[in-house]
Amino acid sequence: MTALVVAGLSAREVSRRRTAVLLVISLPLWFYLVRRDQTGQSIRMLSLGIGWSISTLTLFVMNASRGVDPRLRLNGASVAGLVSGRLLAMSGAGALLALGYWALISLDQRVPHPFAAGLIMLLAALVAAPFGSLVGALLPRELEGALALLSVCAVQMLADPAGLVAKLMPFWSIREIGTYAVDDTGIDYLWRGLTHFAVVWIVCTAGTLAVFAHRLRIAHYPEP
Amino acid sequence: MMPKPWLHGFLDLCLLAMLRERADYGYGLAQRLAAAGVADVPGGTLYPALLRLEEQGLAVPSWAPSESGPRRKYYEITPAGLSVLAEQSAQWARFRSGVDILLAPVGEAQ
Amino acid sequence: MSWPERFLAELVRLGVQQARARRLTEDTAAQAAEQACDPGGLFGPPHLYARHLVAELAAPVAAPPRFTQAGPVLLNLTGVGKRYRRRTVFDNVDLTVRGGEVAAVVGANGCGKSTLLRICAGLTRPDAGQVRRTRRVGYVPQDGGTAGWLTADEHFTLFGAAAGVVPRRARSTGAHLAARLAWRPEPAQRAQQLSGGTRQKLNLVLGELHAPDLLLLDEPYQGFDQGTYVDFWRQVHSWRDAGRAVVVVTHLLHDLSTVDHVLDLGEQR
Repeated sequence: MTALVVAGLSAREVSRRRTAVLLVISLPLWFYLVRRDQTGQSIRMLSLGIGWSISTLTLFVMNASRGVDPRLRLNGASVAGLVSGRLLAMSGAGALLALGYWALISLDQRVPHPFAAGLIMLLAALVAAPFGSLVGALLPRELEGALALLSVCAVQMLADPAGLVAKLMPFWSIREIGTYAVDDTGIDYLWRGLTHFAVVWIVCTAGTLAVFAHRLRIAHYPEP
Repeated sequence: MMPKPWLHGFLDLCLLAMLRERADYGYGLAQRLAAAGVADVPGGTLYPALLRLEEQGLAVPSWAPSESGPRRKYYEITPAGLSVLAEQSAQWARFRSGVDILLAPVGEAQ
Repeated sequence: MSWPERFLAELVRLGVQQARARRLTEDTAAQAAEQACDPGGLFGPPHLYARHLVAELAAPVAAPPRFTQAGPVLLNLTGVGKRYRRRTVFDNVDLTVRGGEVAAVVGANGCGKSTLLRICAGLTRPDAGQVRRTRRVGYVPQDGGTAGWLTADEHFTLFGAAAGVVPRRARSTGAHLAARLAWRPEPAQRAQQLSGGTRQKLNLVLGELHAPDLLLLDEPYQGFDQGTYVDFWRQVHSWRDAGRAVVVVTHLLHDLSTVDHVLDLGEQR
């Protein structure tokens, strides 16, 4: 129950920050518009934009809860409940954003595999939430966290997709599945991308849980 | 002079003891406390204590004119005040002898 | 308004009956006159002296020993110490608080009052010593501890959910506890739009929402006006009388006359 309440209230909290929400929604659009002349690039850029904005949003949501979380723990909430609630809310928001942009590119462009194009946006959003929360957990200050996200996204954009560096970045799956969706390459691109997504998602989620379990640990004193 | 937290516990006792000797008004009591070396009691501590003694029926006030300046409120101890004083002085005596024993250098304690 | 008028008004506001308040005001004026002082010089600001006087008059001269009613031990610290790097923040702190008791933690800034309270809560670990504590604890930090974008009702829901209370019940409990601090939360007002004092009321309500046996309060009255301050102490005493234990970090010395234990961290070293 805690997770659902936390998820609902986190979503409400975020929705009240109107300007921030507008910027989060519009950020992927700029990425898309800049490369609109190139179908494949524009969709990959758009997905990366979704990943960037959702991970930044998650980072801020996680940071905003730092004052409340220890008290919620003292009241009896579990770390898993708190973290999964917030991740659920951010993944949901990301899925909505992905759905919206999928509708947009479906109207604007033709690609060989439209569902795969939608899939990379969804995966970008779903991997962004735990990735943003992990960065937030490791770098508790907002500025540092935001700069770290900026660096990762920049490297992801600029690195050679075939190289090791790109593969170590969290959004490599977007490039792989994007290649399948747009350039109609073999289905093995899709599977590789899905595998990469699953590994990154698990690592980031487990990492977030581990860091928060440590930070929000409560000393269990014996009763007098 | 007495440290502040001590005074808080003993001010009522000191006031009742002084009133047993003779009825007095606020400023006079403050001067007697200072002269006895107990404490320089500020008005904000003294007068609430006096009003409390009055409200709890341990001292009765009466107004009397003064030779110079405004009239004064003299307090007189009541029978209830005397019994509280007796009870508290007994407690104080026990407490003081206990503290004295603890304070006495080791070996000299009886 | 003159000093006596403001004094009278404050007494009435604190719940003293008109006639008694007028009598106390006359007495106070006469006391100032016999010392040939103006009241402000002798007693300080009228609202503070009114508050002080009301508290003093409420205290019995021969206070019955309270320990006879004290309940089971709810918090026990033995030899607790904390270091940050090489610096010893405090050392060898002993404190026992039973149900029905109030303990005050005092000391200069930086002597570790808040750290000690966090140790009592279990949010920080002590480097030395032993802590025993009842399981149900409410912790009210000095600042923060709320989510700026949520309303009071949403806070009640959130904190209730953490303790396993269904939202509707958490909200009604929150509203009830808020009323005891003379506060009615506005439905649409977010925590960040609350004044400092009201946000502290929210903090207090959140601390006791799940009916803890032990309340840990870190200077919870910052930004309170005098009326709220009196309400706060009345609330502390009603918790105590209900058999709960309360630990309050404070820097106001006149609070100490109504507590059962005073732990001076500044004197520890």
